[in-house]
Amino acid sequence: MIDASRLHVDIDLALDSFALKVDLQTHAQVTGVFGPSGCGKSSFVESVAGLRRQARGRIRLGESHWLDSDAGLFLPPEKRGVGYVPQSGLLFPHLSVGENLRSGFRRARDSGKDPAAICSNVVELLELHPLLDRAVSTLSGGERQRVALGRALCSAPRLLLLDEPLAALDQPLREKILPFLRRVRAEFDVPMILVSHDPIEIQALCDDVVVLREGAVIARGAPRDVLIDPSVFPIANERGFENVLPCTTIASDEWGTTVCLGSPPTELRLELINRSPGPSSASLVAIPARDVIIALERPPGISARNVLPAVIEEVHTVGNFVLVKAALSPQLPGVAVEVGRAACRELDLCRGRSVFLIVKAMSCRMFAEKA
Amino acid sequence: MNDATASAIILTLQVASLATLIVFIPSVVLGYYFSRSKTMTSRLVSTVVTLPLVLPPTAVGYLLLRFLAVDGPLGPEILGLRIDILLTWKAAVLAAAVMAMPLVARTARVAFDGVDGRLEMMNRTLGYGPYETFLCTSVPLASRGLFAAAILGFTRAVGEFGATVTVAGNIPFKTQTLASAIFSAQQTGQHHEAYVLIALSLALGFVAVYASELLANRPSLLHRT
Repeated sequence: MIDASRLHVDIDLALDSFALKVDLQTHAQVTGVFGPSGCGKSSFVESVAGLRRQARGRIRLGESHWLDSDAGLFLPPEKRGVGYVPQSGLLFPHLSVGENLRSGFRRARDSGKDPAAICSNVVELLELHPLLDRAVSTLSGGERQRVALGRALCSAPRLLLLDEPLAALDQPLREKILPFLRRVRAEFDVPMILVSHDPIEIQALCDDVVVLREGAVIARGAPRDVLIDPSVFPIANERGFENVLPCTTIASDEWGTTVCLGSPPTELRLELINRSPGPSSASLVAIPARDVIIALERPPGISARNVLPAVIEEVHTVGNFVLVKAALSPQLPGVAVEVGRAACRELDLCRGRSVFLIVKAMSCRMFAEKA
Repeated sequence: MNDATASAIILTLQVASLATLIVFIPSVVLGYYFSRSKTMTSRLVSTVVTLPLVLPPTAVGYLLLRFLAVDGPLGPEILGLRIDILLTWKAAVLAAAVMAMPLVARTARVAFDGVDGRLEMMNRTLGYGPYETFLCTSVPLASRGLFAAAILGFTRAVGEFGATVTVAGNIPFKTQTLASAIFSAQQTGQHHEAYVLIALSLALGFVAVYASELLANRPSLLHRT
């Protein structure tokens, strides 16, 4: 990425029961901020947006200084040029959807962009056309979030701040909106900060992740590595951790779908029973850590459709189970597998051991990707 | 209806409209300040602005009279101003404005209390400064309550008697308003005139209160449904 998108945030902010203290330098396209509820994630993005006047420290994006409390500099939110998408969307209720989208046009024009062109692109990308004349009060939750995202993009922001944009939605709806966020990531060359407590969103969208607990950074790195770090995994595993892997469909019929894993695709194949959105479309597949079985030899006569050779990279005891990280191929991030402690001892699972991961076709989920 | 009654009605409508117009914008700004600022100063200012609502109107009128008198603090002897408005319709406007302002400001404050401050923040992130945000987001979102504030202020100005009579007097064709005309009619036993005036007051009050009720039942005047 270009230097103009290098973000440096080094802030201190006193919150009710603890202090938020984050020092983050990133030039990733999407930087994730992960952590349990109330860990200070939202306060962090609000500080970056300029909505927390009390934040002390320094914030810099590229060459622009947004905050330097030692020098007495506080750039107000209207001068920072961020696109802010909070959990509740915060659409203007007195404006129509179209007017909401246009509310950031002036800023886009002032920064030398053509807002009408951006807007028509956004409307197409987020499929907002049927909503344009609607009143905000008639929108569903998912539609609201798409409009909020569209409004932020139409203002031609220099930094997009997504504060749990999908958290107010139920699980099926979240999976419907996720592809839109993936599209935005692919189509817009704008750095983003994504606050989320959903490990799927973090894996599907982020390049770099920081984990906060009570205002402090407890882990930082590539999404999967960070999420299956033993200190972070209990948070990531609250609703059952799923490994998210990129994949490409190679065959699909009424029996199910066969994909090959990785991007670019590898020889590793996975069968699942979802219908694929279309032939050879790239998408994401989720494999629950709890539903994977580890075998030392390839088992004969088994109903599970997928038996994948892997090498164990890490073994950690986390609470009453063992978290095993196994590599399917050098190109793919390691897959997290939960096994019982007794099984781990009996199979003598340890680093460097070659194993087979057994995955039922029914356990895997595929996320449709919008073309 | 005799000529004096007709004149009183027209004057009342003029005085109340003008008083509402004068206090509306300052009261909206003050209402926003009271709603958003929680400092000691804002509470103090709010209390001072509210005082005319709780004082006897004649007390407010008397204070105004002292202020505007030739030997008062604004008069030629001290500040050198020649404010020669006592016992004119201008004094009636002033009295009505001072008495209506607390009601308008307090109603505006409640209207702004109902506006989600996060929407203002959102507007700021889209590139609008605080003043533009006030005009383009806060005021439209509070519009329903602000209209109600204007209506209440107008009705308060129409019914104002004590302060008006003190500073403007009760001169037929000159400073006699609806309220003071009813008082005169009662004093002089002109029952027919009194009933006509009361009926008009009722009609005016009914329309105003009913309009504010309608506003209260709508999500917002500007909200689309």
